[in-house]
Amino acid sequence: MATSMLMERTVAIPLSLDGLELPVMTTDTTDMRDLFEAQAMPFIDQLYAAAMRMTRNPSDAQDLVQETFVKAFASFKQFEQGTNLKAWLYRILTNTFINTYRKKQREPYQGTIDELEDWQLGGAESTTATSSRSAEAEAIDHLPDSAVKDALQSIPEDFRLAVYFADVEGFSYQEIAEIMKTPIGTVMSRLHRGRRLLRDLLAGYAEERGLGTGQAAKSKKTSGSTGK
Amino acid sequence: MTDCGCEKAKAELEEYLHNELRKEDAIDIREHLEHCNDCSTEHLVGRTLTEVVQRACKETAPEDLRDQVLLRLRAIQSAH
Repeated sequence: MATSMLMERTVAIPLSLDGLELPVMTTDTTDMRDLFEAQAMPFIDQLYAAAMRMTRNPSDAQDLVQETFVKAFASFKQFEQGTNLKAWLYRILTNTFINTYRKKQREPYQGTIDELEDWQLGGAESTTATSSRSAEAEAIDHLPDSAVKDALQSIPEDFRLAVYFADVEGFSYQEIAEIMKTPIGTVMSRLHRGRRLLRDLLAGYAEERGLGTGQAAKSKKTSGSTGK
Repeated sequence: MTDCGCEKAKAELEEYLHNELRKEDAIDIREHLEHCNDCSTEHLVGRTLTEVVQRACKETAPEDLRDQVLLRLRAIQSAH
């Protein structure tokens, strides 16, 4: 898949978290806080939802969101009005998560997951019949939210975040690359593999619950040996 | 108009879904999907996956969190 196929979207997210300047006490400071609250607070539900997927528990998620707002406020003067505030906030959230929480709960595969071959992850292109794939779509659609969250939690973190940023938040690949500080090709690969893993897990759950994806789930089990 | 074929469509379905294709490529894929049952079903699975993830990930921040954030912002301000 050539990167040149991608639509060019250049979204500048100015952010220098180095050299945090503390707000100077002037009458402007209150205005600054009002502006920050008016612009940033509406994102609190979304940031909390993302933090829940990152930390996997409400207490850490709340701490992470608080830290994010404190840091964002401290560097708000450097935010260029008119650029993408949501992406800017997500970048701070992700940085904060990686620098503090990920260290606490570091998973063994970090740093090598991108190098795993598709077959090692059990992913394979769908070779199932059209009819069973439409059954698969329907079965996935009927799964309870808890099953979807479980599946998301069980895929590697970098994949989970890429899927979350693209599918839930609707960020462009370019924005995700900036948020995750990775090349766009890595974003595409994480997204592709994350979605593949998720799809297989969900098809499996549906099967267990008797929602039935027919052939889809059966062929999945043997597809690993056929490689990519 | 010429059909772009299943191979191109399958390879680019995910970028199509995420609105990452150039306009001309997106049009090719859209046209192919209209005529190809196999690819449009594959696309349906992809769209469903996105929808269920969106649905499952909705959260509302606890009221408490909102209050704490506001308190901290005010505390930072009054410290200067």
